[in-house]
Amino acid sequence: MALDDIPRLGCGRSIDRIWATTDRPPTAHEEHCEHCQTARTRLQGLREATRLLRESDLHNPALKPRPAIKNAIMGVARAEVRRGSKILLRSADNGTTEITEQALRSLIRFAAAAIPGVHSRRCRVEIRSAAASPAGEDHASATTGTATTAGPRLIVNLRVAAAPGIVIPRTMESLRREISNALPAGVGIGAGTVNITVEDLYDV
Amino acid sequence: MGDHGPGFEPDPDEGSIVARAQDGDLAAFEHLVLTYQYRLFRLAYRMLNDHGEAEDIVQETLTTSWRGLPMLADVDAFGGWIYRLATNKCLDLLRRRSAHAENCIRPEDMDTIAQAGVLAVSAISDPAHEAEWSAEQDGLTAVLNTLPPAQRACWLLREMHGRSYAEIGVTLKISPTAVRGTLARARHQIAEGMSQWR
Amino acid sequence: MSDQSIQGSIITSRLIASIATRTALETPGVLRLEPTIQGFLARLGPAALQHLGNPGSQDGTYRHNGVTVTISDGTARVHLDIATDIAYTALHVAETVQERVRETISHTGLTPGTVDVTIRAIEPHRGATML
Repeated sequence: MALDDIPRLGCGRSIDRIWATTDRPPTAHEEHCEHCQTARTRLQGLREATRLLRESDLHNPALKPRPAIKNAIMGVARAEVRRGSKILLRSADNGTTEITEQALRSLIRFAAAAIPGVHSRRCRVEIRSAAASPAGEDHASATTGTATTAGPRLIVNLRVAAAPGIVIPRTMESLRREISNALPAGVGIGAGTVNITVEDLYDV
Repeated sequence: MGDHGPGFEPDPDEGSIVARAQDGDLAAFEHLVLTYQYRLFRLAYRMLNDHGEAEDIVQETLTTSWRGLPMLADVDAFGGWIYRLATNKCLDLLRRRSAHAENCIRPEDMDTIAQAGVLAVSAISDPAHEAEWSAEQDGLTAVLNTLPPAQRACWLLREMHGRSYAEIGVTLKISPTAVRGTLARARHQIAEGMSQWR
Repeated sequence: MSDQSIQGSIITSRLIASIATRTALETPGVLRLEPTIQGFLARLGPAALQHLGNPGSQDGTYRHNGVTVTISDGTARVHLDIATDIAYTALHVAETVQERVRETISHTGLTPGTVDVTIRAIEPHRGATML
């Protein structure tokens, strides 16, 4: 039997066709065909049993994994957590300060969450040393005001999903400003470039 | 999900959650675990009829997904991908189980068994059996267990989990047309079996 | 070789680690130390964990829950993995940690070496236990 063979009744009707029409009144043929009548009754019973099983399984407390399973999964995830590359923020005689890309990402995501109509997605952060950054190229960041102005600058590449109906350029400008303020405030380093890509619209 | 503290929107779309988990965001991954662990468990339980083994499938599937997430090209494909992982782990386990079984029932014998009404698996012994179950539900779970594993998977993915023909086809490595055929035969067999049950 | 002895007491890398941990946790803006090394070692097997458990000594390295201390020729070098509160500026928090840890090390009689800090997470204070 080929895989796409659909069983047929003695009268030649396919099971698929009966299944698709069990909720409608029987056709003239079905009213007089024994094969069809039997099949209709059985498939109607199956349809109802299927619905009941789906419902009862969904709410059946015996059909749930123990909480230990989720804990074990999260334990592995935590142990193998990917934090991206480390970025050197400062190097002095008394020691260095580094930050993980993951820490920067979470700060950026918290900033993005303040803008309605935007869901942050993947985020890459790179570093550019101070020397490689020509003056005036960077976005204005009036709140910097720290002793790190001569330090490195970050390049943020953030992808987002936007709510349908928002004004994208204006929203993305607010998002860029929010991130540009959050980096000096939360990390103490200026946001050099914030590249935003709107990759999708999300359903509200 | 619980409280993420200030600044974390309560419920981003799944695509965004998947994208964050791809970046290694543990809170986002935990959200996905909470969303999918029950669904995957119900699938695995109905495939394997064993609570402990179903838990193992859930754990292995979600752990594998954490490791494979960065390679997932399309965030919207996460659901299909994770169902595929879980289904194939169940089918692998059933293959190993039947290789070890002393009295292995060959799939070809299934029709005969169902027709003869010799249904060794009793739904009453099913720990998931509930007092208010109808005779039809008992019959359904009993006959379901006599279907060959791939056919059972096909029926469960479509009827219990609402997955698309295209996705089920990718999971079972058959065409969407073949999925339709397999599903029709599964329904036919279950309906026949149920009429002879009780 | 004898342990580093200062005024009759033995200063081990483990003791310095404990002091550095407490000092870091008392610094405003530090939420916790990040014990990521544990998971890493758990995957290497029991032998690695056993090595981790050694009490530390002079000219030795002690590593535990986000802090690594190496004592060499009377100088203690420290590495800390920290999570900071989003309400603080992480770089300033790290700077304060460095100063304070160096100061507390000097109280033990050892010479404070470099104190390197890695900021592994930035989170709101309330969300610190969300995982």
